[in-house]
Amino acid sequence: MMAAVGAPEVISQLESAAKVLMAPPSMVSTEQRQHAEHIFLSFRKSKSPFAVCKHILETSKVDYVLFQAATAIMEAVVREWILLEKNSIESLRTFLLTYVLQRPNLQKYVREQILLAVAVIVKRGSLDKSINCKSIFHEVSQLISSGNPTVQTLACSILTALLSEFSSSSKTSNIGLSMEFHGSCKRIFQEDDLRQIFMLTMEVLQEFSRRENLNAQMSCVFQRYLALANQVLSWNFLPPNLGRHYIAMFEATQNVMLKPTESWRETLLDHRVMDLFFTVHRKIREDSDMAQDSLQCLAQLASMHGPIFPDESAQVTYLAHLVEGLLNMINGIEIEDSEAVGISNIISNLISTFPRSVLTALPNELFASFINCLTLLTCSFGRSAALEEVLDKDDMVYMEAYDKLLESWLTLVQEDEHFPRGCFVQPAVQVFNSYIQCHLAAPDGTRNLTANGVASHEEEEINELQEDDRELFSDQLASIGMLGRIAADHCIPLLTGLLEDRVTRLHGQLQRHQQHLMASADPGTVERKVLDDLYEDIHWLILVSGYLLADDPQGETPLIPSEVMEYSIKHSTEVDINTTLQLLGSPGEKATSIPGCNRTDSVIRLLSAVLRTSEVESRATRASLTELLSPQMGKDIVWFLRRWAKTYLLVDEKLYGQISMPLSTAFGADTEGAQWIVGYLLEKVINNLSVWSSEPELANDTVELLVTLVEKRERANIVVQCENWWNLAKQFASRSPPLHMLSSTVQRTLMKALVLGGFAHMDSDTKQQYWAEVLHPLQQRFLNLINQENFAQICQEEAVKQEIVATLEALCGIAEATQIDNVASLFSFLMDFLSSCIGLMEVYRNSPETVNLIIEVFVEVAHKQICYLGETKSMKLYEVCLTLLQVYSKNNLGRKRLDVAAEEDQYQDLLLIMELLTNLLSKEFIDFSDTDEVFRGQEQSSGAGRAVSAADVVLYGVNIVLPLMSQDLLKFPSLCNQYYKLITFICEIFPEKIPQLPEELFKSLMCSLELGMTSMSSEISQLCLEALSPLAEQCAKTQEKDTPLFIATRHFLKLVFDMLVLQKHNTEMTVAAGEALYTLVCLHQAEYSELVETLLSNQRDAVIYQRLADAFNSLTASSTPPTMDRKQKVAFLKSLEEFVANVGGLLCVK
Amino acid sequence: MADPDLDFTSGDAGASTTYPMQCSALRKNGFVVLKGRPCKIVEMSTSKTGKHGHAKVIFLSYFCMAVFNHLVLVIGVKCSSLSLQVHMVGIDIFTNKKYEDICPSTHNMDVPNTKRNDYQVVDITEGFLSLMMDNGDVREDLRVPEGDLGKEIESKFAAGEEMLVTVLSAMGEESAVAVKPMTK
Repeated sequence: MMAAVGAPEVISQLESAAKVLMAPPSMVSTEQRQHAEHIFLSFRKSKSPFAVCKHILETSKVDYVLFQAATAIMEAVVREWILLEKNSIESLRTFLLTYVLQRPNLQKYVREQILLAVAVIVKRGSLDKSINCKSIFHEVSQLISSGNPTVQTLACSILTALLSEFSSSSKTSNIGLSMEFHGSCKRIFQEDDLRQIFMLTMEVLQEFSRRENLNAQMSCVFQRYLALANQVLSWNFLPPNLGRHYIAMFEATQNVMLKPTESWRETLLDHRVMDLFFTVHRKIREDSDMAQDSLQCLAQLASMHGPIFPDESAQVTYLAHLVEGLLNMINGIEIEDSEAVGISNIISNLISTFPRSVLTALPNELFASFINCLTLLTCSFGRSAALEEVLDKDDMVYMEAYDKLLESWLTLVQEDEHFPRGCFVQPAVQVFNSYIQCHLAAPDGTRNLTANGVASHEEEEINELQEDDRELFSDQLASIGMLGRIAADHCIPLLTGLLEDRVTRLHGQLQRHQQHLMASADPGTVERKVLDDLYEDIHWLILVSGYLLADDPQGETPLIPSEVMEYSIKHSTEVDINTTLQLLGSPGEKATSIPGCNRTDSVIRLLSAVLRTSEVESRATRASLTELLSPQMGKDIVWFLRRWAKTYLLVDEKLYGQISMPLSTAFGADTEGAQWIVGYLLEKVINNLSVWSSEPELANDTVELLVTLVEKRERANIVVQCENWWNLAKQFASRSPPLHMLSSTVQRTLMKALVLGGFAHMDSDTKQQYWAEVLHPLQQRFLNLINQENFAQICQEEAVKQEIVATLEALCGIAEATQIDNVASLFSFLMDFLSSCIGLMEVYRNSPETVNLIIEVFVEVAHKQICYLGETKSMKLYEVCLTLLQVYSKNNLGRKRLDVAAEEDQYQDLLLIMELLTNLLSKEFIDFSDTDEVFRGQEQSSGAGRAVSAADVVLYGVNIVLPLMSQDLLKFPSLCNQYYKLITFICEIFPEKIPQLPEELFKSLMCSLELGMTSMSSEISQLCLEALSPLAEQCAKTQEKDTPLFIATRHFLKLVFDMLVLQKHNTEMTVAAGEALYTLVCLHQAEYSELVETLLSNQRDAVIYQRLADAFNSLTASSTPPTMDRKQKVAFLKSLEEFVANVGGLLCVK
Repeated sequence: MADPDLDFTSGDAGASTTYPMQCSALRKNGFVVLKGRPCKIVEMSTSKTGKHGHAKVIFLSYFCMAVFNHLVLVIGVKCSSLSLQVHMVGIDIFTNKKYEDICPSTHNMDVPNTKRNDYQVVDITEGFLSLMMDNGDVREDLRVPEGDLGKEIESKFAAGEEMLVTVLSAMGEESAVAVKPMTK
């Protein structure tokens, strides 16, 4: 060992370096700082620095130097482990521990670092049977029993350091050992030492919980041990036989459910453990920091599952004890703010962890009290959450707790067939009532009420990025809607009554305002408070009604919820159908003024309450009171109607086992009710679009309702029978106010709806007339305009430009309306325009905004239609796209602009072009074209005279795009994704074109692939890996060596090899990387053998060498010599999986 | 109702330099008049006061003319649903001088009539461009723009390259905004 000779010099050097590092930035230069850093780095790398380090620790007064000495010891021990005498390691560990014990006033970070070194030594030694590190637990327990708080704290720090080291988590130090080593250490540790730590911790907690008074210092120690207990209970237990997931172990340690191994059974199934945590919590619950830990411990215990339970009855006993303890804890206390989240975590964990059968096996009375307690808690947290909102608190603890509990309710009631029938009805009523109460204004509700009366909250600025309540609170609303269905008997009439009442009041209020306005011309005197309160009430009532009555599943036909259907059926005998229809058909009248209104179907009456709201709104707009209305309420109404229409309108009886007579009579196919309501909705849409053009979101929701009405053929058939529909179509085609004042996105969607409607069932004359009204004016106007002789001169006039922009927008809308059954006619229609658009590219070459819009039209057409097109049609589209790109390229080559928006415009163009190219390529993956079906008789014999291929278009496009892609541009995530999607597609689809690329282009393509593989997100890395196989296959096919592609693939072999064998990688990527590796190995067998040889020759340990060598042999055993054969490749991938499981953890180092 | 047979043949003699448009119908990348100056809208968003308030449009825009290129205007349009006065906020990045104004999205804004024409550069003398018009006439009243674009034009011209410049005109002002080599 190195003697302490020269130590003083080392110390003074280190101390002055520390001074530099600690100095404020202004006092030292960057060079000085770097030099100082270098001194420490090389110090830590010095050989056997133990004696010097000991000397430093004993003499130096500079904390930072002490810290570095501890680090140097830690690193050197691991580095030189094999060379060191076992007893010198032992004495080093003792030295460090004693050192810390004797210096209670060490800086915390120095102490922690020294203890970390101790923990690392213990961990490294745990696999080395020759060293007995067990003594540390004995030492620690002695420290604990000393009764001295400082010493006890130190003991806790030692245990915490051990726990972090053995957890194999991100907290574990980097000591350059294999994942397999970390895994084995962890497994041994968790079976024995971890439990010992837990027992020690429990003893301390027991001891403290017995004491009457705790002084500040003792309470501090208590807290440390409580946190330690939490850390143990949050341990991510490694299952006993885990083969391949060493790498996944290093994931986050957050939100781990407690799943201990069997050996913990005796410890954790002992009721005294759980009781102790309840006792502890009761003792410290007023200390918000400590309470968080004790509740977290309980929440972990509530999440316990797995082999620890010998059978279900053990689970039932455990759960019963937990629930009893919980009820005892909650009952009779006033819950502190800081307890809310913790308590809701306990409940949510136990509901999501324990199977239904275990919950129902609880003693009846206990289960009932639990549900009762959960109900009361939910209501109370809901009220407190509302208060938090009023007070605008930053930390919304009750909201978080409330969300958790509502989520638990959803879990419970979604499987309510397991529970006694009706057992959730009363709780549902209570939770539902309290939700409604919190959201209504006084006197019915408590909204904005605080202890000091109504809060006067200022109207805040709300920007468009803020989500609407219906999305922001969608989870809450879904739970409340579900509970409302469970208790439909109570909740549906409640909502109806409240909504009808608010609508009547709103109507009266608006009438008073109108009279007032007529009396005095000054609008400033209008008091909005009453109105806004009504709007807010109606807002929430409609949202809850929408979530109660219907779901909004994406991509499937929503069904009427079974609870709602049953509810309607159950009461159908008491219902008078005619009165129900009368109530539905007279939204302008007060519901209660209709004779017999109490004998109507309640589900229909709730809808008609919303229709009444809608009617009051529409009448107010006609009375020029739009200024007084709430656009938010307008949005709520059309949102509800859309959700409702998707589910209830033209209800398909075939989808239901039983159907309610009132619902099928009112909304079934071929009913007057359905026709009436379609007409009503259409009128609403038209009114909204003319009144609310200045409210983009409301206009958008409105036009989406229109799309819903026509996107299903059955509904569209009724829509096109309405005169209003035709009026709307004509009005839009004439481009006159008010429709042309709508924002461009709304106009696009409106166009889409009008086109969709055109494919409804009509006789051929009517159909012809319809298209003559909708599409032909568009074409006519456009052709008249561009065919004018002086078009080039007038093209810059505003009226002309507006006409062009409107046409382009409409074309996007038409493309959006494409469906399989209309693509034939829409494609022909759009193709005529696309050719003219190329001409426009020339004319408007210096107007970037127009160029951008033109490209967008092509993108939309390709996006929506290419998958349906047969060969000839596709060819036409390819050709026109190629021309577009050529014109774009010609006009933009060398163009330089001055204005600040230039970069933004170019970014948008690039993104669109890449989208276009990707859309064109997508044909190779998704192809629905069935020429017989879609283009009956239109498709001529194809194949001959193939003018242009997708490859030509796309490669031409890539030629434009690639030179413009810079690293900076790749920082835009959308652009980056689009770019890599595109180049991967190209490699996969046209590998034969890659070697023909111009040199520069080829180089940048390869650079992009490497960059994407190594330094982008895993998604992009995967894309790049997928691109490699086809490239390697291409090389193999041509058999030419020393081509640039051949050389490039050799480089990729090394990259993929390192990635798979040496680096931590996402397991999802193994397949993509494996396929790439296999084809690359086939191509470069010699280089592969070389890589393996090099890797093996670096192994010093004979055992590991042999394991690795064997693993590599069996990896390629089934595929020797490797050939590009599917069967062999599959065999290789299978062996690779075993390879990674077997030695992956050995080579991957932390 | 507007006349469905629009007449696109008339010239622009005597035409107004601006026309009105409802805020909500303005487009991103389009133009608008703010503070009496033609501006390009680079970002448009809406906002409202209170959950039940009416929408207002917020523009982020730049003066579109080269001469004023260094003056970046951030225009926020605010309004209360009842008071209809206009309230806009703009900041000149050099003087930090603020402009204020408000307008709801139902209001009309002026949109400048803009034109872009490409001309061939035939000469540069004393900071002025000589540009060949479509009819063969040469105009010499346009300055070489400041900054990179101006330098680019001058160096290209010095190198004997033929080029086209795009001249943007709006509200009686004109400026060169882009340059492109001639491809014949």
